[in-house]
Amino acid sequence: MTCRRTKRLIPLYAGDDLRPQLARAVRAHIDACPACGKEIGEYRLALARIKAAAKDEARPDWGEGEWRALMARVAASAVEERHPTTILRPRWAAATVLGMSIGLAVLSMLFRDAAFGPGSVTPSSEPAAMDAARKQDVVAVTLVSPETGLQVVWFFNRNFEWKGDEN
Amino acid sequence: MRMNETEKELIKMVLSGRAEAFEPLVTPYRGPLLALAYRLTRNREEALEVAQEALLRAFRALGRFDISRSFRNWLFQIAANEARDRLRRRTRERAAFDEAVQGAPAAENPETGHDRQEIRSDLMRCLDVLSPREREVFVLRDLEELDIRETALALGCSSLSVRVSLSAARRKIRQTIRENFPHLEEGR
Repeated sequence: MTCRRTKRLIPLYAGDDLRPQLARAVRAHIDACPACGKEIGEYRLALARIKAAAKDEARPDWGEGEWRALMARVAASAVEERHPTTILRPRWAAATVLGMSIGLAVLSMLFRDAAFGPGSVTPSSEPAAMDAARKQDVVAVTLVSPETGLQVVWFFNRNFEWKGDEN
Repeated sequence: MRMNETEKELIKMVLSGRAEAFEPLVTPYRGPLLALAYRLTRNREEALEVAQEALLRAFRALGRFDISRSFRNWLFQIAANEARDRLRRRTRERAAFDEAVQGAPAAENPETGHDRQEIRSDLMRCLDVLSPREREVFVLRDLEELDIRETALALGCSSLSVRVSLSAARRKIRQTIRENFPHLEEGR
């Protein structure tokens, strides 16, 4: 190995960071070359000095309040991970209520048809109500948007077949 | 540096939902982590933010921690990433600012600005001569004593790249000590 190549490798050799094969080649060279050996000594000294300076250096430290505040943030983030906050936005809340109302209206009509339909058994003590139900051929469902005030009316026949709408 | 049994136990406790075990887990590293952040950012306030963010990230990512690795080195990796992100962001912001005030006197180098705010140690002034990547490599390998492989892992680059930067960093440090800090060379 030449001095030129050795000098390129000295910074890594000085910190024992060369691969074993290259380190062996450098060691063989410096055994025979005092100039390169001296340079390695200087690098090692510089590294040792700067490491010593790093150990002696006054390091910044956490204020106790800063540390406590950080640990509180960690604890809070743990709680949040376990119980994510569900925020129901007003728009979604309104849509949910509207949807549930429609569902309930539809269900109530279906059950009413089942109770008072042609094949159902009705109590003989309520003939008037049964007749009224049979006579109701059209059912109207009104949908109102709580945000815009827009109203839509849907009409269904007694078999719950859609017959039209009206704005 | 391998993990000890206490650390493994504490990690298991945190992962099982006992967040209070996180504090004893990281307390031994509170000083070293802040020192690392300080050497990378060269500003106490920024170092504090980097260390805080690194610990919060570590808490959130603890489930993905590979227990065959050193916990300390993993924390250092997160802090080094955070410091690098901040440095990039700061550089971008400064470039945008300089562009916005074209024609104004050249903006002060942020690193020079730190000189005015802090009484800097010889060590920190030696680190000033290094490029960001060289500084990361030098601080992790020579001051925090991670090995080459761990340094490469922490910085997300190859061992070869670490060796190239480390070689350049040591060359510059030696030169700086000789020229500007002879008392360090003489051991005073």
